[in-house]
Amino acid sequence: MYPPKFGYVIPDSLDEALEFLEKNEDARPLAGGYSLIPMLKLRLIRPSYIVELRRLNDLHYIKSDDKTLYLGALATHNEIATDQKVKKSVPVVSAVSSVIADPQIRNMGTIGGELAQADPVTDHPASLLVTEAKVKIKSKGNERIVPFEGFQKDIYTTDLKTGELIVEVQVPILKGYTYSYKRMEDTAAVAVLLRKEGEVIKDVRIAASLIGPVGTRLREAEKVLMDSKGDSKSIEEASKKAMESVNPIPSPRASAEYKKKLVGVYTKRALLEAMGGKQ
Amino acid sequence: MKVIEQEQKAKVRYKINGQQYETEVEPRRLLVHVLRELGFTGVHIGCDTSHCGACTIIMDGKSVKSCTILGVEADGSEILTIEGLAQGEKLHPIQEAFWEKHGLQCGYCTPGMIMQSYWLLKNNPNPSEEEIKEGISGNLCRCTGYQNIIDAIKLAAERMKGQ
Ligand SMILES: Cc1cc2nc3c(=O)[nH]c(=O)nc-3n(C[C@H](O)[C@H](O)[C@H](O)COP(=O)(O)OP(=O)(O)OC[C@H]3O[C@@H](n4cnc5c(N)ncnc54)[C@H](O)[C@@H]3O)c2cc1C
Ligand code: FES
Ligand code: FES
Repeated sequence: MYPPKFGYVIPDSLDEALEFLEKNEDARPLAGGYSLIPMLKLRLIRPSYIVELRRLNDLHYIKSDDKTLYLGALATHNEIATDQKVKKSVPVVSAVSSVIADPQIRNMGTIGGELAQADPVTDHPASLLVTEAKVKIKSKGNERIVPFEGFQKDIYTTDLKTGELIVEVQVPILKGYTYSYKRMEDTAAVAVLLRKEGEVIKDVRIAASLIGPVGTRLREAEKVLMDSKGDSKSIEEASKKAMESVNPIPSPRASAEYKKKLVGVYTKRALLEAMGGKQ
Repeated sequence: MKVIEQEQKAKVRYKINGQQYETEVEPRRLLVHVLRELGFTGVHIGCDTSHCGACTIIMDGKSVKSCTILGVEADGSEILTIEGLAQGEKLHPIQEAFWEKHGLQCGYCTPGMIMQSYWLLKNNPNPSEEEIKEGISGNLCRCTGYQNIIDAIKLAAERMKGQ
């Protein structure tokens, strides 16, 4: 399978890339290419130009301060999964990155590309929703920071406008939380982040992804557990709420009904694991 | 900024298996095709959809699927293919282990499987069976049932210790 013909642009700086993208509406940025190149091969898109990002080192970093982890748009899944700062400060992000696709795809695929693609089969949203991460977006002469929640609007649809690039993902560093991530490849996943004071759950965040169309926070389920001791009755109740509040799209591997049930089961398992104290 | 128009070819340079190569590619050419045309036909095309791993090579130290990389994108990179593993007649320990443990039948998946094992063992010289399975999860084999491949990687890890 050959991609259709396109021109290829190698910018020397982020500004050059932004300028070119703004002037050429049907140009497409290329990060890891593991979503873009398959789409080109299938002729789902026919951009006039492909704008290479991989050599733009100012998008390729993992940094942190006391409060926030900063992931440059070109940080690969594997870099995020293996970085010690990420493991220590926001382990749920590291855990989610480490199970994406396979090692070769994790070596090329980037967090910026993943979020911009908004494929229904995407793991990152689960961890970015429970941590309440933000996305930093740039266009020529402009910059804005938006919550990740709401950034992905529908399948293959995001808040990005022509000429805009994701430049960074900002993840708050939350102390004293435990987490869990349960998933079936391509089918359903649930992330839980939880903080207890003594026996009592003082904060709990639950999010589902992979079920399509986009990742979602399961707030109805969270409410059940807030200020409870996480006894088996409230966990059952929360799992039921989780199941009821998702609206999955069927895939060749799983019906919508099956995905719904998985969300229920994974919510329960993730809660139990997080309560068991996995830091 | 460099702009290569649709009909133009870009001059690209790669260092493949230690040797410098220079060629011209259209922007839409895939790295796997470019490599095969340069003579590295050990880089196989299985699925062409980034699922099977037959096209796995090492690019700038990382294992990648070359069917999902553009030739222009790889300009300036250092590439290792299956052809670059043996030292003259002397097979690489991973190749030897695949041979001894019958880690292949038809052999179609083998170059990709070996390159992926190479990357795995570079990053984790002493993998558990679980880690081996995860490490080759992006490589499909239709013949072996994987058990002998896993045994071969274990044996290779054993032999590469202290090297
Ligand atoms: C076989 C296979 C299995 C996979 N399995 C999984 C999985 O289990 N879980 C999972 O989460 N993902 C999975 N993926 C997706 C993979 O993680 C990709 O890496 C990811 O979707 C895209 O990242 P990329 O860097 O390759 O982006 P690209 O393919 O380069 O780009 C994707 C899209 O985003 C745009 N873009 C890229 N960078 C930016 C930016 N900085 N700002 C704005 N727009 C940008 C591009 O123009 C394109 O439209 C799988 C992919 C494949 C091929
Ligand atoms: S040919 Fe590249 S992954 Fe199958
Ligand atoms: S040996 Fe035939 S595909 Fe693996």
